Amino acid sequence: MSETAATPDASTPAGMLEGDLVRQARHGDLVAYDELVKRYQERIYATIYHMTANHEDANDLAQDSFIKAFQALKSFRGGSSFYTWLYRIAVNKTINFLKQRRNKHHFSLNDLDFNTEHNPDLVALISHKTPLREAGLTELQNKLNEALMKLSEPHRMVVVLHDVQGQSHEDIAEIMDCNIGTVRSRLFYARQQLQGYLSEYAKLT
Amino acid sequence: MNQTEPSFDELKRLLKLKQHEVPPPGYFNDFSDQVVSRIRAGEAGGKQTYVERLEVEAPWLIGFFRIFEARPGLIGGLATGLCLLLVLAVVFDEHSEVASKNSMAVSAPVIPAPDNSVAALAPSTLVAADDNSTGIVAATNPVTSLQPVATLFGQPASGSLFQPVGFTAVGH
Repeated sequence: MSETAATPDASTPAGMLEGDLVRQARHGDLVAYDELVKRYQERIYATIYHMTANHEDANDLAQDSFIKAFQALKSFRGGSSFYTWLYRIAVNKTINFLKQRRNKHHFSLNDLDFNTEHNPDLVALISHKTPLREAGLTELQNKLNEALMKLSEPHRMVVVLHDVQGQSHEDIAEIMDCNIGTVRSRLFYARQQLQGYLSEYAKLT
Repeated sequence: MNQTEPSFDELKRLLKLKQHEVPPPGYFNDFSDQVVSRIRAGEAGGKQTYVERLEVEAPWLIGFFRIFEARPGLIGGLATGLCLLLVLAVVFDEHSEVASKNSMAVSAPVIPAPDNSVAALAPSTLVAADDNSTGIVAATNPVTSLQPVATLFGQPASGSLFQPVGFTAVGH
């Protein structure tokens, strides 16, 4: 996940291994760092966006996280992968931001992409066979985000990283600096909470 | 999780909806450029604050502080506990000081008081002076204000000490 396979043209930043890019970036090579940003920008942005439910906040925090990572590159000792280390910076920054903004949620949700209506799982959710038939996808999106915002930051983070982004328990434990048991228990508790919050909109079993 | 626990399949399916929330088209085209230009503009040159360095180098410490942030009562409890510890330490220290002084006094050599004038100059031997015999040194600090009591006949009373008091006539 963290290592990128080398392309034939390994002399260009796009073809370089992550470790080489990190080494060059540590020496102030902004071209190498630009490539690292490109590799992780979508995942970092998405994590922050799903945590904040606000595009503008996610944009600022994602940029700040990358800048902070660049500043701190000299202290990166390679104990974990750059990707995990970067995630940890983004996660800490986001949780700090959310703690300061406690209970002042302002949604600025991104639009659903074109493929949403063609996703069989989601189509099934809003089909006539479920209680969701009255709810459109946009309403469902709002309710889902509202429910996520009711979770505490660590619980929301675990759900976002695991159920939305598909990260493994091990990676989440490393990113959140806790053990796997904590990740599992947080995930279970968060899902239970979400199920309770969304019981009106989806017949969850 | 055991089999009696819910599988959350429907919830997981519902959460997939989040994956379809995407930023405006072309948003990522210049994202890295913005980051790099902000770094070039000097934002990266700014010194990291101590807290920022801690966040990267010792996230466990930040996590520890966050516990207090989430539960402000805890910091109050910890502060009260520390104050109690401090008070206990001071009290214990004073007790041990008194105890050590007492033990020193008991083990100190007995000072003979040959006559009353010497007793007056060394009032620490008050006990010894009172019974005109030897006594125990209670303290080593000299109290020079104490003087032998002079009787009506100008003779010092044996073993008696007094503290002179000055009176000022009022209204004359």
